[in-house]
Amino acid sequence: MEKQPILRIQGYTKVYGEGKKAADNVTLTVESGDIYGFIGHNGAGKSTTIRAVVGVLDFTEGEIFIDGHSVKKEPMECKQVTAYIPDNPDLYENLTGIQYLNFIADVFRIDEKKRESNIKEYADKFEITEALGNLISSYSHGMKQKLAIISALIHEPKLMVLDEPFVGLDPKAAFILKQIMHEKCEKGMAVFFSTHVLDVAEKLCNKVAIIKQGKIIDSGAMGDVVGNQSLEEVFLEVQDEES
Amino acid sequence: MKNRSWILLKNLLLSTSQLNQYRHANDKKKRGRIIGNMIAYVLMFLFLLLYGVGACIGYGKLGQIDIVPVTCALTIALIAFVLTLFKTNGYLFRFKEYDMLMSLPFEAKTVAGCKFLYMYVKSMGWYVGLSLSMLIGYGIYAKPKLIVYPLWILLSLFLPVIPMLLASLLGFLITKISAGFRKTNIVQMVLIFAVTLSLFFVRFLVEDIVKKDKLDDILMSAKDTMNNLADVYPPAAWFSDAVRDFSVSGILLLVGITVVCFEVLFLLVGRSYREINSKLESHAVQKSFRMDAQKKRSVVSAIAFKEFKRMTGSTTYMTNACFGQVLVVIMGVAAFFVDLDKVIGIVMKNAPITKEMLYPSITLIVYFMVGMVATTAITPSLEGKNYWIIQSLPIDKKTLYKGKMLFNLYLTIPFMLFATLCICISAKAPVLTTVLSLLLGVVLCLFSTCFGCVCGIKHIKPEWENEIEVIKQSAAVAIYLLPNMFAGMALIVISVFLGTKIDQNLIIGAMILLVSALAALAYGKVMRLCRAEGTRLG
Repeated sequence: MEKQPILRIQGYTKVYGEGKKAADNVTLTVESGDIYGFIGHNGAGKSTTIRAVVGVLDFTEGEIFIDGHSVKKEPMECKQVTAYIPDNPDLYENLTGIQYLNFIADVFRIDEKKRESNIKEYADKFEITEALGNLISSYSHGMKQKLAIISALIHEPKLMVLDEPFVGLDPKAAFILKQIMHEKCEKGMAVFFSTHVLDVAEKLCNKVAIIKQGKIIDSGAMGDVVGNQSLEEVFLEVQDEES
Repeated sequence: MKNRSWILLKNLLLSTSQLNQYRHANDKKKRGRIIGNMIAYVLMFLFLLLYGVGACIGYGKLGQIDIVPVTCALTIALIAFVLTLFKTNGYLFRFKEYDMLMSLPFEAKTVAGCKFLYMYVKSMGWYVGLSLSMLIGYGIYAKPKLIVYPLWILLSLFLPVIPMLLASLLGFLITKISAGFRKTNIVQMVLIFAVTLSLFFVRFLVEDIVKKDKLDDILMSAKDTMNNLADVYPPAAWFSDAVRDFSVSGILLLVGITVVCFEVLFLLVGRSYREINSKLESHAVQKSFRMDAQKKRSVVSAIAFKEFKRMTGSTTYMTNACFGQVLVVIMGVAAFFVDLDKVIGIVMKNAPITKEMLYPSITLIVYFMVGMVATTAITPSLEGKNYWIIQSLPIDKKTLYKGKMLFNLYLTIPFMLFATLCICISAKAPVLTTVLSLLLGVVLCLFSTCFGCVCGIKHIKPEWENEIEVIKQSAAVAIYLLPNMFAGMALIVISVFLGTKIDQNLIIGAMILLVSALAALAYGKVMRLCRAEGTRLG
């Protein structure tokens, strides 16, 4: 399958009101089929970048394109093909799981048959079908995370953007998520996600970017970035070098 | 295919629907609480209906039933404007699901517009209730044609929209300006207070300029006042023309201008919506902290301090909790610059009531402003998602609520004493009366704090979507506020009446005893509620 750029970040810069740069000239490209890991210390600029990609935060300079559309100028076209899961998803606590999924399906205009089969497929995989009739407020953190993942998958996005997706997931759910990522990316979807779990990133991702104090200090194919070392070793090395 | 605005609005309403929670909650306790809240709302609604009908009967008896449509429109407009101004920040900006909604294929103006419509629909019942009750009163005395009834109800739906849009525009501008500052909350609060206070002055200026009358004349003539105010606020006149004279232009203007204002405002808001929220939500993390000697506090003081920080971290909380305090400070200072005898003459319409007879009501008037928000600081509901912190700490409920109540006392007593003292000095009240008035102020604060705490515990709701639900719209607030307000008004009337017959100090003394007993009862109730669920938080 020919690879197409799904996400292009070009010179993205975010300056806070106080003049401090949260992201400084970030440039990277995620192509169809890529599972792209985005790693860095707390406060390095991962979440700020991710929130700008999904159209939640404004940015100062640069451009972000999703499937060829500018996030700034054509946000609706970008959002239509993107799914976002924040690190701590704030779902509507007083809706039931199924009410929330139907809301997302309505927003993405998914027809009844397709939504039914997609919801069933992923809810069964993550083993929360029986809990879908309960209020989200009664869910555990992991269940909420699973629900957020299902809501991201049911509209079959071209790009999935995830902020720390494995936090709170039980080992089986984490395994299923990784499996789904692989399956979807084989069919042309792209995944861009941040994580602190370097082992997972190393095994799962074909590409990686390391961000420090808002700047990308290393990026590219996983093999090129890590060489003979582990991702953990490379990460710690570059963090120490720069400081 | 369903419209996305409708999908979002429907979902926002469903996500806070008590009925939906009742249908799907498995917890019996929670279901019971929901029913309790619903009963409280129904009672409040009936109370509102009675108030509206009662007011109209008053107008009917005075032969001024014609002004009811204008009065209805102006009352709804005023309430809608003030309440929306305080709520805009929490509803349109900084809501917790902002990230989720903005990452979905919604345009910014759709999100902002739906949030406004949600705010409108949530409060619409109260406005329609008020309107309906006035329609009943109007129907009894004016005996209008049958068509007036559906027309009145239909147009009532539009009455709160324009003032809500105006308040939202102001709120939007305030948020846009304050978003550029590091201390956003403080700037926002100062601007909201400044706008609200200046509106008070504008109101007096308008009355002065438009009517070229004296204040006492205006008070004597409600009809002129209402008609002149309707000239200043045309939607009230449109409504009145529509229901009294079936004016097609009135109907078209009210509906048309409402729709146009909505579209224009949200086109404007939508353009800078993401920019404002980005500024509000993203700030550089300061890395300048240096570890030095830390201050030790008692557990109760630590909880009170935590509550203080919680307050300064939320514009909605701060404006709600501090607005009365700002007003009483202004009132206290103003007392030195106005001729109290003249004010009494105007308000009492030159009835044979002396300043001395009004001494017992000084503290009650101050309490009216200070004591009406005693549910905010004390309610456990505001802990929201952070409730676990308190739950997991080795703090018993009594200590927790003592801390919260202590903070509320810090927040009310100094202002109560300041304003009462200023007015007493200005009114040249004797020393004994002043001391007793101050004492009454303290016990009133104690009572409001304890009663507010009872309401907060009994109607706890930590699983809110927006903190405004707790601060402004919860059952706890309604149950605290309305009886307190009407009891306060009744006490003022009774104390003025008794003041004409009995020594003022005796009246104040009796009130001190009565309020102290109520405060003790309320405090006892708080302690019993704490014991009821064990020594640890449940």
